[in-house]
Amino acid sequence: MKKSFFSRFITAVVAASMLTFAAGCGSEKDSGSKANSENSSSAPADDQSLQKVLDSGKFVLGLDATFKPMGYTDDNDEIVGFDIDVAQEVCNRMGVELVKEGINWDTKEEDLNAGRIDCIWNGMSVDPGRAEAMNLSDPYMSNSMVFVVPADSDITSMDQLKGKSIGVQNGSTAQTILNESEIGSEITEQAMATNIEALQQMELDIVDAVFLDSVVANYEITSSGKDYKVLPDGLEKEEYAIGFRKNDQALRDEVQKYLHEMKEDGTLGEISTKWFGSDITTVK
Amino acid sequence: MSGEEIQKVFLILLEYLVPTLKVFGFTLLYSIPLGMIVALLKMCRIKPISWLTNIYILIMRGTPLMLQVIVAFYAIPMLKQNENLPVFLQNILSGIDIKAENFKFNAVIVAFTLNYAAYFAEIFRGGIESIPKGQYEAAASLSMNRFQTFFHVILPQVAKRVVPASSNEIITLIKDTSLANVISYAEITLKAKQQMQNYSSITPLFIAGLFYFVLAMILTVISAFVEKKLNYYK
Repeated sequence: MKKSFFSRFITAVVAASMLTFAAGCGSEKDSGSKANSENSSSAPADDQSLQKVLDSGKFVLGLDATFKPMGYTDDNDEIVGFDIDVAQEVCNRMGVELVKEGINWDTKEEDLNAGRIDCIWNGMSVDPGRAEAMNLSDPYMSNSMVFVVPADSDITSMDQLKGKSIGVQNGSTAQTILNESEIGSEITEQAMATNIEALQQMELDIVDAVFLDSVVANYEITSSGKDYKVLPDGLEKEEYAIGFRKNDQALRDEVQKYLHEMKEDGTLGEISTKWFGSDITTVK
Repeated sequence: MSGEEIQKVFLILLEYLVPTLKVFGFTLLYSIPLGMIVALLKMCRIKPISWLTNIYILIMRGTPLMLQVIVAFYAIPMLKQNENLPVFLQNILSGIDIKAENFKFNAVIVAFTLNYAAYFAEIFRGGIESIPKGQYEAAASLSMNRFQTFFHVILPQVAKRVVPASSNEIITLIKDTSLANVISYAEITLKAKQQMQNYSSITPLFIAGLFYFVLAMILTVISAFVEKKLNYYK
């Protein structure tokens, strides 16, 4: 009878393993795409990227779903946004299903290169490092980096920010731009995980201003009704693009072709109007 | 945030209580038995085995769990990229679907289990070593062999002694499950962070905190009950 002490353990562990295994069986439907991902060592010469997506019938879009209004999680826990609407339309035209895969923004390049996702499409700003690491689409929207201060702040121009502390999202292009700018050495930078935390800290007077994308700043002010003002002089223009794997030229060109087509027939303008009130896309 | 909005966020987070509890439950199921094995290996008389176990514990306790989750998640996809691998390894790896829904979950469980097994191993080793030598001598005088001595005399006493330290570790585990959000595993913290962006407010994080608090409270009550139950012979 006492032997059961040990054997009960073993039984429990085996039972648990089977449970995990059973839990995994739910995703059996994915096995179709597995066969296609095996010959992943394609050189640009024999570029299978587009064919692979068409064969599997799935276009996997990687996003961290926290970038409002480009791609975020709404109050019903659905992933929505400008980028999502555009990607959905592109997928409809390609005849494939759009799969939205959550990623951590800090490790997005690894997810892309490891083949877990087909593209990064979440209001991603173009910068030299990203252009080096990925195959970027043509920019589809331009954006500038702006300073936001509370509406009742005394600060009215960039010069007055000297010696102040400024919140910025850690790992963002805003942070890089701020560090490299002239004003960068004269302010105290407070890096935070998200823009929302930075704005929250500004409301609590922990930081004096927040440096972020104008698209986000304007959306926060117009749709969330926050009492902020944007300083008139921003630092730098930048652009949003979609990131593909370095070798996936065919897939990139196909998506680019549909974006161009959507701009021509006005679909892109419609989606932009829905989210931003006017067509602010820059697709040619 | 208005009351209605808070309620909405609460309901979403409630839905993701299940993935959080799944990480918690499976980690416990695997790490406690594994911790026991590691504890025995560490006390092994064959020195190389004991040294290797020490290195394992050193690494697991010496690096952040967050980092271990990231390593567990990216190790296989990165190995798959490498074409110079031995064929048998390639065959094993090709059987793993890195796009599968449960791949993230498995990575989380592997990292959490290995990490927590190291902590549990040290707790169990402390428990085993705290048993007085007289207990072994008494068992020997009853002509019990080493196996019988361990399972019938030592282990039941160890179980009683390791409960307070283990419940401490278990309560830490429920809060550590939030670390799974670094690989975007959909659980309470990740959803709270997403809702935080949606409402431009940090209130969802506090709602998430409430969930962990209630869970920790339940665990505290359970561990107090277990401790009381095991409080015989005193």
